[in-house]
Amino acid sequence: MNETQLNEEFEKIRPQLKSYILRITTSVQDTEDIVQDTWLKANDKLHTFKGESSIKTWIFAIASNLAKDHLRSKKRWVENVTDICKEAALGNPQFFQEAMNIRMNSPQGNFEIKEHIAFCFTCVSKSLPLEQQICLLLKEVYDFANSEIAIIMDKTVAMVKYYLHTSRAKMIQIFDGRCSLINQEGICHQCTELNGIFNPKQKTQEELIKIQMVKSADNPDKEYLFELRMDIVKGLDPFESGAAALQLHHLEHNRKVMEDYLK
Amino acid sequence: MKPFLIILMLMSTSNLFAQDGKATTIKKTFNRQTSVSLDIQADPAIIWALLTNASDFSRWNSTVISIEGNIAKGEKIKLKSTLDPERTFKLKVKEFEAEKKLVWGDGKGKREYTLQEKEGGITRFFMTEKIGGLMFPLYAGFIPPFDEAFEQFAADLKREAELIQKGKQ
Repeated sequence: MNETQLNEEFEKIRPQLKSYILRITTSVQDTEDIVQDTWLKANDKLHTFKGESSIKTWIFAIASNLAKDHLRSKKRWVENVTDICKEAALGNPQFFQEAMNIRMNSPQGNFEIKEHIAFCFTCVSKSLPLEQQICLLLKEVYDFANSEIAIIMDKTVAMVKYYLHTSRAKMIQIFDGRCSLINQEGICHQCTELNGIFNPKQKTQEELIKIQMVKSADNPDKEYLFELRMDIVKGLDPFESGAAALQLHHLEHNRKVMEDYLK
Repeated sequence: MKPFLIILMLMSTSNLFAQDGKATTIKKTFNRQTSVSLDIQADPAIIWALLTNASDFSRWNSTVISIEGNIAKGEKIKLKSTLDPERTFKLKVKEFEAEKKLVWGDGKGKREYTLQEKEGGITRFFMTEKIGGLMFPLYAGFIPPFDEAFEQFAADLKREAELIQKGKQ
C-alpha cells in the first residue's frame, strides 16, 4: 500500500473514526487532534503495515492507542453521570441559553429523543473501565469482529470476550436500573424532560412510541433491549445528524462538569 | 516407586478433589482443608480474568459480597463472603502466576486457585483452602463448613466462563 491508497482509505473511514474517538474522549477538540495524529502516524508508519489485518483495523489500532494514552491519567466517569450533570445544568442558566440559541439558529440544532439516547450511552459508557468501553464500542457500534478487536487492543480473543461480556452486563444493569424508557421505576427521565423543553409542541409519548426500544420495553429479555439501544447508537453520527450541534454542546457541558466533579 | 505406593498416592489425590464440582474436606487436629475441582469449557485467560478482576467478582459469584483492592502479586485485598457477611477478611496475594496459579491468604490460612489446560478447550479448575495453626482446635468449632460455598463458587465460575467463551463472535 502506498501513501495515496492509505489516504484514500483514511478518508473513507474518517467519519467512523471521528465518531469513535468522540465517544471515547467526549471532546470535539481532542477528537480532532487524535484523528489528525492518527493520520500523521499512519503515514509515518506505513512501511510497518504488512497487511496482516485490514487497513481499517490498523488505523483504528493507532487511533485507539493514541486515545488510551490521552486518557490514561484521567479518571473514569460515574454511573450516575446524568444526575450530576443535570444538577449542574440547572444551576447554570448560561448552558440553557446557549442551548436554546443553538436550537433556534443552528441547522443541526434539533432535539431528537433518539439522539439523546445515543448521547446518554456515550456518557454512561464512560463509567466502564477504558478497555471495556473501547471493546464495547468496537463490537457493538463499529461492527468489528472479536479477532479484529484483539488486534486493535493488543489482547487475546479470550480477553476481548471477557471485556465484552462484562461491559455489556454492566451497561444492561445500569440502564435497567436507571432508564425510564425501559423501566417504569427508572429514575432518569432526561430525554423526555428535555424533549418537553426543546420541542414544547411535540407530544412526547407519540415520539417515544416510534422508538423500537421503547415499544419493546416490556420485553423481559434485557439483552434484546440492549441490542435495540445499540442499534440506535449505531445508526447515528454524532457529528453529522440534525441534532449534532445541540448534543455536542451538551456533551461539552457534561465533560466539563465531570472533570470538575472528579478532581 | 513401588506400585502400591503409586496407587496410594493416586487414591489420596482423587480423595482431595473427588467428584467433578463436589467439595471435600479433610479435618485434622490443627488444620482443615476443603477442595473442589471441575472442568470448564473455556480458555484459561477467561477464567483467570474472572478470578483476578476484584470489582467484577460479586456480579458473577454468588458466594462473594465484595472484593476491594487489586488482585496482583503482593497486593492486599479486602474480601466479604456470604459465609460470614459481617466480617471483612484482610488478605494478601501471595502467588500470582498468570493463567496458572493464584494464592491469597492471611496468618490463619490460604486459598489456592490452580488452572490446568487440558485438550479440547477444557480448563481444569482447582480450588483449595487450608486453615489452621496451633490455636486452631480452640476456634475450629466456630468456623462454618466451606463445602457448599466451594461447590457454588465453582459452579458460578463454570457458568460464567462458559457463557463468555460462547459469547458473540
